[in-house]
Amino acid sequence: MITAGIDVGAKTIKVVLLDGGKILAKTSVLAGFETEQSVEEAYKEALAKAGIERSAVGKVGATGAGRKAVAFAQTVVTEVSADAQGAVFLHPSARTVIDVGAEEGRGIKTNADGKVVDFAVNEKCAAGAGAFTESMARALEVTLAQFGDISLKSNKSIPMNAQCTVFAESEVVSLIHSNTSKEDIARAVHDAIASRISAMVRRVGLEQDVILVGGVAYNIGFLDSIKRTLGIENVVVPQDPEYVGALGAAVVAGAAGN
Amino acid sequence: MATLTKYPTEPLKCWNKAKELRLKYYKDYAECKQRGGIRWSGGAWAMDAIPAGLGDDVYTLTSEPYAASVAFDPKLNAECQSAADAKGWSRDLCSYMRTYWGSMYVNKYAFGGEFPKPDFAFQTQICCSHHKWYQHVAEYKQIPYFTIDVSVGLYKDVDEGRIAYVVNQMQESIPWLEKVTGRKFDDEKFIAAVNNECRTTSLWAEVCTLNKAVPAPLEEKTMYALYVLATLSKHSKEFGDFYEELRDEVKDRIARGIAAVSTERCRLITDTQPPWSYLSMYRYMEKYGAVSVGSLYTFALEGVFADQPDGSWGPRPTPEQLGIKIRTREEALRIYADWNLSKPEWQHFYDPQIKTDIMLRMVKEFKLNGVILHLNRGCEGLSKGIMENRLGLVKAGVPVMTYEGNMGDEKEMDYPRTLSRIDSFMESLGFNKLEN
Amino acid sequence: MAALEKFEHWYHNRHEYAREWKKRTGGKVIGTFCTYVPDEILTAAGMLHSRILGSHEPQDVTEPHIFGMFCPFCRDSLAQGLKGRFNYLDGIVLAHSCIHYRQTFDSWRAHIPTEFTYYLPMPNMVQSPSAKSYYVGEVAKFKAALEEYAGKKITDADLDRGIELTNKNRRLLHKIYEFRKTDPPKLTGTEALYIATTAQFVDYEEHNKALEEASEEVADRTVDRDPGIRLMAVGSENDDVEFFKMVESVGATVVIDEQCAGTRYFWNEARIQPDRLQTISDRYVERPPCPTKDYPERQRFPHVLQLAKDYKAQGAIIMQEKFCDPHEGDNPVLKKYLEDNGIPTLGLEFDSTNPLGPFRIRVEAFLETLRTDDLF
Repeated sequence: MITAGIDVGAKTIKVVLLDGGKILAKTSVLAGFETEQSVEEAYKEALAKAGIERSAVGKVGATGAGRKAVAFAQTVVTEVSADAQGAVFLHPSARTVIDVGAEEGRGIKTNADGKVVDFAVNEKCAAGAGAFTESMARALEVTLAQFGDISLKSNKSIPMNAQCTVFAESEVVSLIHSNTSKEDIARAVHDAIASRISAMVRRVGLEQDVILVGGVAYNIGFLDSIKRTLGIENVVVPQDPEYVGALGAAVVAGAAGN
Repeated sequence: MATLTKYPTEPLKCWNKAKELRLKYYKDYAECKQRGGIRWSGGAWAMDAIPAGLGDDVYTLTSEPYAASVAFDPKLNAECQSAADAKGWSRDLCSYMRTYWGSMYVNKYAFGGEFPKPDFAFQTQICCSHHKWYQHVAEYKQIPYFTIDVSVGLYKDVDEGRIAYVVNQMQESIPWLEKVTGRKFDDEKFIAAVNNECRTTSLWAEVCTLNKAVPAPLEEKTMYALYVLATLSKHSKEFGDFYEELRDEVKDRIARGIAAVSTERCRLITDTQPPWSYLSMYRYMEKYGAVSVGSLYTFALEGVFADQPDGSWGPRPTPEQLGIKIRTREEALRIYADWNLSKPEWQHFYDPQIKTDIMLRMVKEFKLNGVILHLNRGCEGLSKGIMENRLGLVKAGVPVMTYEGNMGDEKEMDYPRTLSRIDSFMESLGFNKLEN
Repeated sequence: MAALEKFEHWYHNRHEYAREWKKRTGGKVIGTFCTYVPDEILTAAGMLHSRILGSHEPQDVTEPHIFGMFCPFCRDSLAQGLKGRFNYLDGIVLAHSCIHYRQTFDSWRAHIPTEFTYYLPMPNMVQSPSAKSYYVGEVAKFKAALEEYAGKKITDADLDRGIELTNKNRRLLHKIYEFRKTDPPKLTGTEALYIATTAQFVDYEEHNKALEEASEEVADRTVDRDPGIRLMAVGSENDDVEFFKMVESVGATVVIDEQCAGTRYFWNEARIQPDRLQTISDRYVERPPCPTKDYPERQRFPHVLQLAKDYKAQGAIIMQEKFCDPHEGDNPVLKKYLEDNGIPTLGLEFDSTNPLGPFRIRVEAFLETLRTDDLF
């Protein structure tokens, strides 16, 4: 049976079409003000990409903050469950899922079936999420991609506090003024955010394998830092890490009612 | 598919009476000076049976429940919070304290009129904020201030020296009260007040214990309106009588199988004060058939518990029930100190393990599916050790959800995200939203 | 090594020091939580008092144990334990004071295997007439517990030695602090911080000897730096040398402090009374109070003002550990009190790692306002 997973996030809507164990298509569109319309657009695009008719899809699962906008979904799950399902589907030995998106960071402990055992989500604060890195990259006048790259060139550890984005930004500015290299500042920022995320992960308990999903997983500087702060060698980053939630929704849809 | 049992439900008969008693309390405090009465302010844990020795026309304003009342009026609360900000007080200080001070600064009483100036402040100290609270009220309002340090360690370790310290301070408070009010202290009235307080706080514990029944006859949102009476005045005979009436009604509900929530299928407890502006959260949980049957906070902020002969957790027998007749001031002070020191909600101040043990006991005896911990940014006292409690519960296999908020400052709560967290938690417990 | 450098060396190598002390003496090392622990008793028992302090590094290991709205100091301290940096401790003791630090102790004894753990009730209401009789009883119980743990009696002679060594340390610290009164001050705030902090974890005999030598060194000193504005540091736990170094690099000298890594720890001596335990326990009831214990009267404020006057401070930095409720309950009133008495203040909220950049701007701006005052 072909199933669809639709992840309606704050910024983007992502669709994954799944046929048993095989991913048929992935699409992502920016979420407009008319969420339902954007969902429709993304879904159609995915169907076209896979070259299948709407009627070929047996079940539709929705997740994400705007999941209610998917009126035609048969199953609806939270991002936390979708992440766990998607991660275990891709990497069966995953037990800890770290999802760092634009506005939210999550640490999830899962069992072998992709069932959530415990989870922690960042509180009312952007410091543990992607938005924080974006604002720091802006302060350094580099692109997000460069930001990750240059961070790897540093081997210096500058303690920095990621408690507050605004305060951290002024700290970055004063580091710039004191002629600290961009590379060292980039690493300090990644270490700081990784430290926040690690703290959250420790709250649910660190169990390997650890899989990193969400858009921030593309940032190799962050990946390097999170390995260091967690004190582990291996953190799995799946292909297309930002689609794991949508994939999980598709998996759940397929499992429902069987 | 499982079929859902629908339990019969009906409103609580004594509900309105609780509301009336509460309003009368706040009104009496504002108006008592016209009748020549005395009024004082102190925390909900103040030893209020002691000033009761000054006469029958002594009225109290307990500050935490008062601040919670202000929190129900978001506009006034915001005004109070800003007034505290303007004076330079840190945002992370006890939000009740900030609200109370703000209400004092803007000179507005949540129940109408100006903020009534207390004749004196009478406080206990177990949390770092308690004494600062009234130290500042006293300096701002220019009133006398007495406080009793009750932070002497775990009840199980209380010995002669520790109890003597508390008793001695209470002793010292009596001539002080006589001096600042010009009244003679009446030991008879004090002894009666001690007996009443033991009765009230034991009865409340009994009511809470009844919630072990499935379906639960009470749910926590309702209990908030009931437990509050003990936080207003523990020694009040009238409130004790009300709890007796409540207990009988709850027993009757159990006998007739009346549920607080007709769709109960998931039983939870919470912890610490709730974010008062977002109590609709509890209604949201009900969409899953989830009922909070209470919390250590609602139960034991004032309720006094003890092991029952059958090993279960229940009300501590009062001195009167044990046949102890209090004859002298000294005896009364000792019993009074001992009674308060045994309060379950005082134990985590010294060791989080005791609270974890109590919670695990609640999980078992109240047949719970999980626990929701409010990481309350507004109260350092009740949040003390809460992460260790979480760890202890998780280690014992109890599903736990946490969320950050603030009992008295709605700015610190992210409500939509909290609801989505409840969704995830319910999902992980295996519950879906019920069709209407 | 010059005597003064010894303090700095101990400060940066405290763990090596304690390990070496243990090896050398065969004695027990006891971690102390809060400056209300009577070090006299530990010294009398032949044990090393070793105050638990943080490292000022960001950390992510305490999240499962202490909720994030408690002070960074209590979490930083616990992190040191969880990371095994204090793994040489034989025991730990907490004197009852603030709620924040009590959590460090709670989590420490629950998760870090330690032979001897002791919770020492200490009255918070030190102003109560009943406080002294209560505390002497608790100190007696603490002494008995140590005797049982060590399997050895603490004799009157031991107690006398404990009292004498700690009192001598306090006297010597006062003496060297006198050099901060001079104009220009012969001792910087950074140096004083090294000196006062190390008293909390270095064997008193050694510390006293170093103090005696250092006092002679400092007396002969000629100051070649411009001392700038004379500042006072007031506030919660602070042993952050980097911050003091920064302040003293932008045109100021910290001439006195009122904080628990400094004067609050050593200010008063134990008054010798016939009863030795009373001598010891009263000392803690009578000492300059932490805000946690300063009620119903605000006795701390006049003491702070007196220090500012005695050391001729031109301004005060009120350093507050983020989320420290006891200090937050004092600061707005203290600020007004000091300003009404002619001491301008700058309030700073501190975290375990103090971002120096944003703080430098604030301190410089504060110093500018003080200098402007001079112009008119």
